Amino acid sequence: MHGQIPELGEALQIKILTQNPLALSGFIIIVAVLFIAIFAPWLSPYDPNYIDIHSILLPPSVSHFMGTDGLGRDVFSRMLYGSRISLLVGIVAVGIATVIGTFLGAIAGFYRGYTDSIIMRFVDTMLSIPTFFLILAVIAFLTPSIWNIMIVIGLTSWMGVTRLVRAEFLSLRNREYILAAEAMGASDFRLISKHLLPNSLTPIIVTSVLGIASAVLTESGLSFLGLGVQAPQSSWGNILTDGKEYIQFAWWLSLFPGLAILITVLGYNLLGEGLRDLLDPKNKNQKK
Amino acid sequence: MIPMLIGISLISFFIMHLAPGDITASESAFNPKASEESRQKLRALYNLDKPLITQYGLWLKRIVKLDFGNSFASHQRPVLWETKDDKGNVTKGMIQDALPITLMINLIGLLIIFVLSIFLGVVSAVNQNRWPDRLITVIVFIGFAIPGFWLALLLMYWTGVTHSWLPISGLHSAGYEKMGQIAQYLDLFKHLILPVFVSSLGGLASISLYVRNGMLDVLQQEFITTARAKGLTENKVVYGHALRNTLLPLITIVGLSIPGLIGGSVIGESIFAISGMGKLFFDAVLMRDFPVVMGILTIGSVLTLFGNLIADIGYAWADPRIRRGITN
Amino acid sequence: MYFKYIFLFFVLLNLTSCSDKKEVAYNYDGTFNSEKGGTLIDAMSGEPSNLISMIAGDSASSAISGNIFNKLIKYDKNLELAPEIAEKWTISSDQKTITFSLKKNLKWSDGHDLTSEDVLFTWKLVTDDKTRTPYGSDYKLVDRAEVLDLHTFRVVYKKAYAPALDSWATLQILPKHILKDEDINRTFFSRKPVGSSYYKLAQWVNGEKLTLEASPSSVMGEPNISNLTSRFIPDTSSQFLELIADNIDLMNINPIQFARVIPSKPDLKNKLALYKELGNSYTYLGFNSKHLPFNDIKVRQAINYAIDKQEIIDGVLLGLGEPVASPYKPGTRWSNRTLYPYPYDKNQALKLLREAGFNDTNHDGILEKDGKPFTFEILTNQNKQREMTAVLIQRRLKDVGIDVKIRVIEWASFVNQFIKTGDFDAVILGWSLSLDPDQYNIWHSSQQKPGQFNFIGYNNKEVDQLLEQGRTELNPDKREKIYHAFSKILLRDSPVIYLYAGYGLTAMSKRIKGIESPTPPAGIAYNSYEWFIPSTVRRNEIAQ
Repeated sequence: MHGQIPELGEALQIKILTQNPLALSGFIIIVAVLFIAIFAPWLSPYDPNYIDIHSILLPPSVSHFMGTDGLGRDVFSRMLYGSRISLLVGIVAVGIATVIGTFLGAIAGFYRGYTDSIIMRFVDTMLSIPTFFLILAVIAFLTPSIWNIMIVIGLTSWMGVTRLVRAEFLSLRNREYILAAEAMGASDFRLISKHLLPNSLTPIIVTSVLGIASAVLTESGLSFLGLGVQAPQSSWGNILTDGKEYIQFAWWLSLFPGLAILITVLGYNLLGEGLRDLLDPKNKNQKK
Repeated sequence: MIPMLIGISLISFFIMHLAPGDITASESAFNPKASEESRQKLRALYNLDKPLITQYGLWLKRIVKLDFGNSFASHQRPVLWETKDDKGNVTKGMIQDALPITLMINLIGLLIIFVLSIFLGVVSAVNQNRWPDRLITVIVFIGFAIPGFWLALLLMYWTGVTHSWLPISGLHSAGYEKMGQIAQYLDLFKHLILPVFVSSLGGLASISLYVRNGMLDVLQQEFITTARAKGLTENKVVYGHALRNTLLPLITIVGLSIPGLIGGSVIGESIFAISGMGKLFFDAVLMRDFPVVMGILTIGSVLTLFGNLIADIGYAWADPRIRRGITN
Repeated sequence: MYFKYIFLFFVLLNLTSCSDKKEVAYNYDGTFNSEKGGTLIDAMSGEPSNLISMIAGDSASSAISGNIFNKLIKYDKNLELAPEIAEKWTISSDQKTITFSLKKNLKWSDGHDLTSEDVLFTWKLVTDDKTRTPYGSDYKLVDRAEVLDLHTFRVVYKKAYAPALDSWATLQILPKHILKDEDINRTFFSRKPVGSSYYKLAQWVNGEKLTLEASPSSVMGEPNISNLTSRFIPDTSSQFLELIADNIDLMNINPIQFARVIPSKPDLKNKLALYKELGNSYTYLGFNSKHLPFNDIKVRQAINYAIDKQEIIDGVLLGLGEPVASPYKPGTRWSNRTLYPYPYDKNQALKLLREAGFNDTNHDGILEKDGKPFTFEILTNQNKQREMTAVLIQRRLKDVGIDVKIRVIEWASFVNQFIKTGDFDAVILGWSLSLDPDQYNIWHSSQQKPGQFNFIGYNNKEVDQLLEQGRTELNPDKREKIYHAFSKILLRDSPVIYLYAGYGLTAMSKRIKGIESPTPPAGIAYNSYEWFIPSTVRRNEIAQ
């Protein structure tokens, strides 16, 4: 039954989004950050790796909008390029988590029974091992590089998606149109891919959007521990970590990346929750 | 349950050993006066030269007797609980020292989160899509989005350096031992304000959102319309009926939060100089102190399974259909 | 309706901050007379694990145990050997026997006498195979150790061993009467030590702090400051906040805090005194001689010319360091003053690389030889200064057409996966040196097995001979010549590139008086027992 609740595609239209100003703000923020990330090379006044030992730790000025860091590099340029890392980490990590989670959740929800049991046991096992431990141990072993960080965050956050997808599949499994398709001889694969998955997209998308926010925060936490993206690559997390010793003195090293992380994570959260509100059939305001 | 526990410990054990190196690498590794053969001897002593499966078996044999063993570090403190030597000297256990601190911070945080979240969630739900809802959502999200260590340092600077309102780090002031009972509690309270605040911000967002959405669900249901039709005041409808029904599923969340209670944030503990489980765990991983790592993971997995059980029971009990079925 | 709660919150906040009134203005200027008393609070990033120094390897443990225990001899402010427990010592003419005469009437802090029996006992312990100590090798070279009387201790070496005296300036003497029936590896003594030196352990709160108090029976005389408290604060930014809030008195700071942060704030300059001293360590870029092309001396020398070391000192250390041309602390007699580091000379570097067969044949900016581009990986551990140094080196080497990748690795993995296995191209690391010039363990060709310290694979027969000679020659002037020659060969061969010797930077509250200025060669801490805190500027202690 369509009509009452906007579908995902419709929801992302500005018109619909304006019904929920928070989701709209989130959307605008994300688009802005994506824009910056994509056009970083054109927007950066300096090469982010250009070292100038005569310009160490200068405060913001006309020539350096966000000041310089401990090696005299322009913070504004590093921030622009850093946006790529922060976003890339978020998107790839969540991408991996979503793919794994959706796959396992679909199988568990579709086949139920023994398969479901085994998969859920596995999920429980993974959930009981602290995520941070897994990340730490694996990164210590693999050496921190941006790819390893993305893979590891992805490999440790798929469990929530699995549960969600499984729940959706379980509830949709016995709907009439699914049973009808089955009776008509549709293969398992067709059932899953053409019927069940598309209707489960909402929670997957919402969780993914929220997951990106989480991943960005995790990267900054890893940088604090020295296990994040490594020099000379800049990420918001490692600029923030570099600046933590001089919070009152070189405030620009903390303020800008801190705000950037804050705003980006906020944006993703607002969009994710906003989408959930818009697409949720129980939303009071949607009742016609 | 037992196979799960063994599975978890097996996986953890192997992951731990994936990381190259062992305890002998950290201490005195690069002091030119330290010899390699002493390191070899230490390795043999701790069975680190035996095949992995043997090491796992040896560990398993001890743990089933609840013997968590001693740390590999040069202090060799017991992992779990204190031991007494024949002269009556007590060496405290590592988890014994760190766990109460972490539990205290987490429990207080949990309490604050729940109380505040219920309040915020209800206000949000009742005022859906009007300014209180939006404002609360934004504030709560900002709390979630701020990188924790940045906020911590800023607050420490503002409350401890610029003004002398709160202490900066640690759990006790210098003259703690000489304070009276009440002064001691007050001192501890002051030291806990910032760490608890910073560590609860994240949970605040998710729980208050959960309460909000849960309330919205409940407020739509027929029995609420009935209650209103009966002429009950809005307050009674919201707080008396809707809230009660929203809170029951929170039990599930409480259950799922139980394993998290023993986990400390290593970042927060580092910054606030609090020796809790987070730092204990992190240091042990970096030092490859296997007994400590495995000990903490074991406790963690037991608590997780326990927590899941509570969540399942709570969920079933909260659903009056099941409850009635049982008592029949 | 919500304002009720907000109001309540602020009331509560005010209640809690009512109790202590800070913002006392201390007057640090003027002359003060030395007096006893007071507490010095400092911060440590790590917690000591075991106060028996032969067992514990970590710096936190040695920092504390150094205040509790004595050695036979020590280094004075000019880094010359001086008496501690031993009031004098004689070396036999064949240079194989050292006889120490102990001072009389020495006592342990529990009242028992300290005699040469304790020294013998300690030596037996450190050379015992059952003792879990990595530091026994020097002491095992003693063929025979004996007690001639309660105040005379003699050791006889198989061969003359020059670093012997240095080893006796490091071995902390333990009490026989307490430890003779204990298992040294498991004894509670490691947490409740009894020593003979200036301080004894007063309190140790796990995870929080450790307090030492002045020991009245100290064999060295009483220190001025009565209490030393060390707070365990892992994060250096938190330590700095505590320092500027006047909650701790002493902290090791980094170059930016030293040169930029503190000088720029008048209130900090008034409260804190800054000290810098050259430490006994240097940072280097080490090549794996077993990996091509680092086996070619021209390549190593070329890279040496291509790196601008002054730039590294200025950029990473803000000028707070010195270049190094010998593997020794500049200014000491072992450092060869006739040697100068390779200057920054890009053309010379390119010339040498050409001679080694490297040319940029395809004009892509990277040199090649035999079709293979010159690219290598620098490994280092998680250390901010080393990471920054790597970045600077990467840029300079790019200028001459060498492509450098940087990899930062966590310590335990670093040691086990790369150093031990020899699986690396180049590393940036540092050596912390003992005061004895012997460097046999680091450079001798016999020390290349996994786990040993010549992991870069240096092989030079001349150097081997010099190192062997230096070990057995006890005359300092002759030794000086040997090690000067050794340094010269090392500089020419360039198996490592000396990058810098950084200053140790300390910020101390001005309430601590008695620090010697100018800083002597041994550093400011050498007379820490003479420091004092005038009573007018002591922190308020909670009166009982």
